[in-house]
Amino acid sequence: MLDLARGSRRTGLSPIVLVLPVALFVLLYLSSGTFRSLENLANVNSQVAALMIASLGQGIVAISGGIDLSVGSVMSLTSAILVTADPAWGVPIALAMGAAVGLVNGFGVTLFKVHPLVMTLATMTFVQGVALLLHPVPGGEVPGYLRALAVSQVAGVPAAFFWCGAAILLAWHLLGRSRFGLRTYAVGANPVSAGRNGIAVTRLKVACFVLCSLSAVVAGIFLTARVGAGDATMGAPYSLDTVTAMALGGIQLAGGSGSVLGIVAGVLTLGLISNGMNLMGVSPFLRAAVTGALLLVAIGLQRREAIGA
Amino acid sequence: MISFDKVTKRFGSNLALSEVSIDCEAGTVHAITGENGAGKSTLMNLLAGVFSADGGEIRLRGEPISPERPADARRLGISTIFQELTLLPNLTIAENLFLGREPLRLGMVDRASMRRQAGSMIARLGSSLDVDAYCGDLSVADQHLVEIARGVSVDADVFIFDEPTAALNAPEVEKLGELLAALRASGKLVFYVSHRLDEIFRFCDRVSILKDGKHVETRPTQALTRDELVSLMVGRVLSKFFPPRPARPDGAPVALSVSGMRVREDSPQVSFELRSGEIVGLAGLEGQGQRNIIRALSGLEPVVGGKVTKGSETGPMPLGPDVVATARAGVGFVPEDRKTEGLYLPLSIDENITLGMLRRLPIWQLVKRRRDVIEELMGRLNVRSAGARQAVGELSGGNQQKVMIGRWLASGIDVLLLEEPTRGVDVGAKAEIYGLLREFANAGGAVLTVSSELLELLGLCDRILVVRRNEIVAELDGARAAEEEVMRYALMGRAEAGVHANA
Repeated sequence: MLDLARGSRRTGLSPIVLVLPVALFVLLYLSSGTFRSLENLANVNSQVAALMIASLGQGIVAISGGIDLSVGSVMSLTSAILVTADPAWGVPIALAMGAAVGLVNGFGVTLFKVHPLVMTLATMTFVQGVALLLHPVPGGEVPGYLRALAVSQVAGVPAAFFWCGAAILLAWHLLGRSRFGLRTYAVGANPVSAGRNGIAVTRLKVACFVLCSLSAVVAGIFLTARVGAGDATMGAPYSLDTVTAMALGGIQLAGGSGSVLGIVAGVLTLGLISNGMNLMGVSPFLRAAVTGALLLVAIGLQRREAIGA
Repeated sequence: MISFDKVTKRFGSNLALSEVSIDCEAGTVHAITGENGAGKSTLMNLLAGVFSADGGEIRLRGEPISPERPADARRLGISTIFQELTLLPNLTIAENLFLGREPLRLGMVDRASMRRQAGSMIARLGSSLDVDAYCGDLSVADQHLVEIARGVSVDADVFIFDEPTAALNAPEVEKLGELLAALRASGKLVFYVSHRLDEIFRFCDRVSILKDGKHVETRPTQALTRDELVSLMVGRVLSKFFPPRPARPDGAPVALSVSGMRVREDSPQVSFELRSGEIVGLAGLEGQGQRNIIRALSGLEPVVGGKVTKGSETGPMPLGPDVVATARAGVGFVPEDRKTEGLYLPLSIDENITLGMLRRLPIWQLVKRRRDVIEELMGRLNVRSAGARQAVGELSGGNQQKVMIGRWLASGIDVLLLEEPTRGVDVGAKAEIYGLLREFANAGGAVLTVSSELLELLGLCDRILVVRRNEIVAELDGARAAEEEVMRYALMGRAEAGVHANA
């Protein structure tokens, strides 16, 4: 018998993870004329893109057995940097900042053995503070070339589509086909055993956090460019939204399981819920309550079979 | 190929290896054997890079080496098949076999060649496992097989097998024998850690015997008989710190009765009785099922069939696989790992003991710290501490164990089950713990204990039940049993040991 809820040992994918976004899409497609319009679909795509890019990074950390709450703050600081720094230097500075935050998170978790939740909570708070100091009031000018990269269309296909596609391909290559990916799954399942098999556990975990912060920077760049102004709090919801997307995508925070397909499904589920309720004119407060309830139902249906320790 | 030269290793105050010197040649299968805790695994772990030696030297082809990590050892050409499983459950067999040395093609993991090579590695062991199966879905025996396949596929000159056959079935052991012969023929040095006599004689060329961390002898297996080997493994001196055994009255009431219990589907039935006033030990080599028996009685592990009843004034009462109910019925359990399974380390001594006394009270009961009771108990246990409010985590191992036992004593139980009653406990505290247990028994309690230290059981227990392959193969009088006799049953089982005893 096909067990709807049982996730695969490695990918965490269960039928429910994949069915949920498809079902939501069909439901919205049939019930709302506005949803069906190309304009709205492009809108969903660009709303979802930042969350997609950040969640792929979060997913890598989650598979390695960690969690990164600083994702949102890094996005916010990226936004602040882009509108205050010299236009030519904004992107490199933001990337360097992301790498630095990732290194601090990674070394804190590995060398100083701080729990990832506490470690990234600390950097989250710190980085948020720096972002607000740098750019207290929303506004400012986004470099023109970034704006163009985020909002233009190629043959009718919005740029957001390409941002998402590139991020998904890169993550799929890293997790699914590279040496790094295989070792990340191994470390997430059991770091001691992985170490005995000759894997440099510390280095790998640090790399995961750096990749996650870098993906947050890219998500921040996209979001800032799309909005067209800097905002030192724009990333705030993303810290936990990425974790919600993980859970909806069948990834367990114990580590060792998860897949790019699952992350994509989780992000789409979350994005479709917001968009759909937005179109139906549901109050944002009720929207939050519904999202929470849906999350509980989704993970309640998944078999809790932790791999990591 | 490898020489150990006066190698010494301590763990705290415990000398695990003392000036061990052994020379080992290429092209041989070299058995390392000895009783539980003799230092076999410690010696091999030094070579495998798990621990570093505190003294002496290990030489590889004359060059001193000191591998700090398993990866270092592997680089030196030393491959270890560890006793505990190191496979990742969420990786396939092929991925596990190549983890850490994945073949690459165009910068990506070359899955095709990985699967092909994995297939032939598995086939070499005579198995037909699917290399795409996740290791977490395999049986324990199959996982060991994969572990062995990985170990021997490493390009190394020295191979260490640490108790490789513990979970294997007969045909797989046969294949392992062929594999060892092939390694020997290609000029490798193989260390074979085991206490299975038949395998030592069948597979190995030479055997080194360790006892209490000291090297006893190294001899060609052909120049030894099984009896001689057993004699070399045993023969330690019994210390004098055990309390005297009072004469046991014949008609003592039964405290715990076990009949027809099986710890696994395919294991033989176990039946015995535990009477008030006696201390009974389950002896045997590690991993023979003693632990499962005691854990089953404590309600921690499920059993297959059989009946366990506890004697009481009102008649026998059945016990089920339920820890809480078992404790409520007056059966206490002291686990081997008291730090994670027994004590509340951040809480103080009096809180730990009070938690035991609360056992039969409803949860809304106001917590009264019975200072007088606790003071009296701590005095009786001779807990060395800065006072009753000190956190248990700050105490030494021996004092922690005393608090653990004290907690049960304070809660008024009449059967106490203990795993490794004195593991990680210094010599002085050991004697005190033995005294406590005897005092408890003299007051009408019954004690059942499992220990990997045979001498402890011989000194402490009134009766010793020898367990081999999940079966009780002998019941011996603790006061009269000799170490050699127990070891004979533990190593050879009922039939063979009986023959030797009669001869």
